Amino acid sequence: MHPILSDRRRFLVYITAWMLTGVLIARLLVAADLANWSFAMVFSLPLALFGGFLTSSAYFVCRSLPFNRRSFSLAALIFASASMISGISWLGLCYGWNKVLVLALDEVEVLHMSSHLSVLFFITGFAVYLLALLAFDVYIAFDNIREADRREAASRLLARDAELQVLRSQIDPHFLFNSLNSISALTAIDAVAARTMTIALADFFRQTLAIAEKEKISLKDELRLCENFLAVEKIRFGKKLGIEFEVTIEAETALIPPMILQPLLENAIKHGIRNLPKGGIIKVTIFQRDCWLHIAVENPVSSAPGNSTGNGLGLNNLRQRFFALYGEQARVSWQRTDEKFVLEMTLPFEHNIHE
Amino acid sequence: MNKRLQVLIVDDEELARRLSLEYLRSHPDIEVIGECETGLEAVDAISKLNPDMVLLDIQMPQLSGLEVLEITGRRSGVIFTTAYDQYALKAFDLHAVDYLLKPFSQQRFDDALTKARKLLAQETSSSTQAIETLLTQQSEKLQRLLIRDRGQVHVVPLASIDYVEAQDDYILIHAAGKSHMKTQSLSELEAQLDASKFVRVHRSFLLQLNALQAIEKTSKDSQVAVLKNGAQVPVSRAGYERIKALLN
Repeated sequence: MHPILSDRRRFLVYITAWMLTGVLIARLLVAADLANWSFAMVFSLPLALFGGFLTSSAYFVCRSLPFNRRSFSLAALIFASASMISGISWLGLCYGWNKVLVLALDEVEVLHMSSHLSVLFFITGFAVYLLALLAFDVYIAFDNIREADRREAASRLLARDAELQVLRSQIDPHFLFNSLNSISALTAIDAVAARTMTIALADFFRQTLAIAEKEKISLKDELRLCENFLAVEKIRFGKKLGIEFEVTIEAETALIPPMILQPLLENAIKHGIRNLPKGGIIKVTIFQRDCWLHIAVENPVSSAPGNSTGNGLGLNNLRQRFFALYGEQARVSWQRTDEKFVLEMTLPFEHNIHE
Repeated sequence: MNKRLQVLIVDDEELARRLSLEYLRSHPDIEVIGECETGLEAVDAISKLNPDMVLLDIQMPQLSGLEVLEITGRRSGVIFTTAYDQYALKAFDLHAVDYLLKPFSQQRFDDALTKARKLLAQETSSSTQAIETLLTQQSEKLQRLLIRDRGQVHVVPLASIDYVEAQDDYILIHAAGKSHMKTQSLSELEAQLDASKFVRVHRSFLLQLNALQAIEKTSKDSQVAVLKNGAQVPVSRAGYERIKALLN
C-alpha cells in the first residue's frame, strides 16, 4: 500500500504541502520579476500538483528495490536515472504549460524561459525526486524494522504459549497407570479403598484440566490439587509417605502459575521417598514476606546414587516457565546434600483482591 | 507336571504385588517363593532361590528391573511388568520379550504365564537370546557401573571413575578412592563407555580423561599419565597417540 495515496489524511497534507510549494514558486517568479502574480499562480499551481503526483511514484521505485537484494551501484544508478527522468519531465512540462498558457491567455506578460530558468526547473525536478526517493527509502526501512519487531514479539508469544502447553501437559504417565493398577488390586482386597482412590484420582485429573487453562490460580487451589494427588500416592506408598504442610493464611490467597507445587511433590516422591526403604517426610513451607512469596520443598534422599535421580530437566523447565512469566523477578534454586534435597523458590506476591 | 513352578514377585509397590498374588491363586501349579520390594532384594533372592520364573517390575528405585538382570545374569523365565516406559517397550517389541502393561487383566496375565511355561520347557529358549540383546542395547546408554561383590551391589557412577585396570580374568575399577573388582574384560567395558571420555592408554589400562592431570615422560619413549588423585598409569605408544588425538 502506498503510504500517502492510500491514507486520506496524509494525502491531504501532502497535496497542501505541494500547493504551498506552488505558491512559493510563484512568489519567487514574482520576486525575480519574471511574471506578475496572477500569471505566476496560474502557471505554478498546476505544475506543483503534477509534481506531487510525479514525486509520489518514487515510493514504487524504492519498493521495487528491496534492501536485502539491492547492490549499491545499481540502486545509485536507478535512483539517479529516475531523478533525471523526473527533472526532464518537470522541465518539459514547465515549457509545455507555459506555451499553452501563452496561447490560451493571450497575455502580454508571459514567462520568458531563459536557459538560466530551464536549468533551475530541471534541478528542482531532479532534486525533489531524489529527496523523495531517499525519504521513502528511510520510511520503508523503518517500516521493515517495525514489522520485524512485531513478528518477533508475536513469535515469542506463540513460543511461550506452546511451551506452557507442553509444560502443563507433563503429567507423569507412570502415575496414572500405576494408580490404575493399584485400584485394580484394591477391588479384590478393599473395595471401599478402591472407590476412594478412584475418586481421588478423578478429582485430581479434573482439577488439573480446570486449572491448566488459567494463567494464574490461587495457592489454595494448587494445595487442593496437591491434596488429591497425595491421597492417591498415600494409597500407593502407604506409611512410607509422610507429608507436612506449613502454609501461612495470607500466603494462601497468593496467585501462582498452575501446577508448580504438584510436580515438585511428584519429584520428591519419585527421586526421594521411593528410594528410601523406610520412606520419609516431605516438608512444604510457604509464607509471604514483603512483596514476595517464598515456597520451599524439602525431602530426604537416599545417599546411595540411585537410578532415578533425574537430570534436572523438570527443574530447568520450571525455571524457564518462571522466566517466561516473571522475567528476572522470580527465582528457583535447589541443592542436594547427602541426606536431603531442598528446593526454594521466590516469586512476586500477587493476590486476588476479590478474595 | 511333577514339580510346582517357583515364582518370585518383584515390585516396589505393595498393591501391585498383591495383585499378582491374587492372579496367581488360580494357578495351583505355581508356588510363590518370595516377594521383593527393591531391585537389591531381587538380586539376592534370584541368586539364592533361583526361581523358575520372575515377575519383574522395570521401574524400581535404586536398581531397575533390567539392571537386576544385568547383575544376576538371569535371562530365562522373566515376565516384565511396567506401567509406562516408552524406551523399554520399544525394545521389548523389537526382541519379542513378553511384558505386562499395568493395569493388566487376569486373562493377559494367564497368557503371559502360559507363554513363559512354554519357553521354560524348551532347552535353549529364544527369550534368553532376546533378553541378552536387549540388555546389551540398554547398556549403551550406561550411566553407572553395577558391581556385585560378596552379596553386595555397589553402584559406581561413571563420572567417579578414575581408571580401570585389567587383571587376569577380571578388571579393577578405581573410583573415588576405592577399587572394585568386576568379572568382565577391559575391551567389553571399553565398548560400553563413551569413547570421548574414556581412553585406552595401555593394553591393560583405561582412564577417564577428566581424571587426567598430566602426561609425563619417564624415559626416551615411555610415558606415564599422572591423574588428579596422584595415581600413575602407564601409557603405551599407541595409547599416547589415542589420547593426543582426543585432547586436540
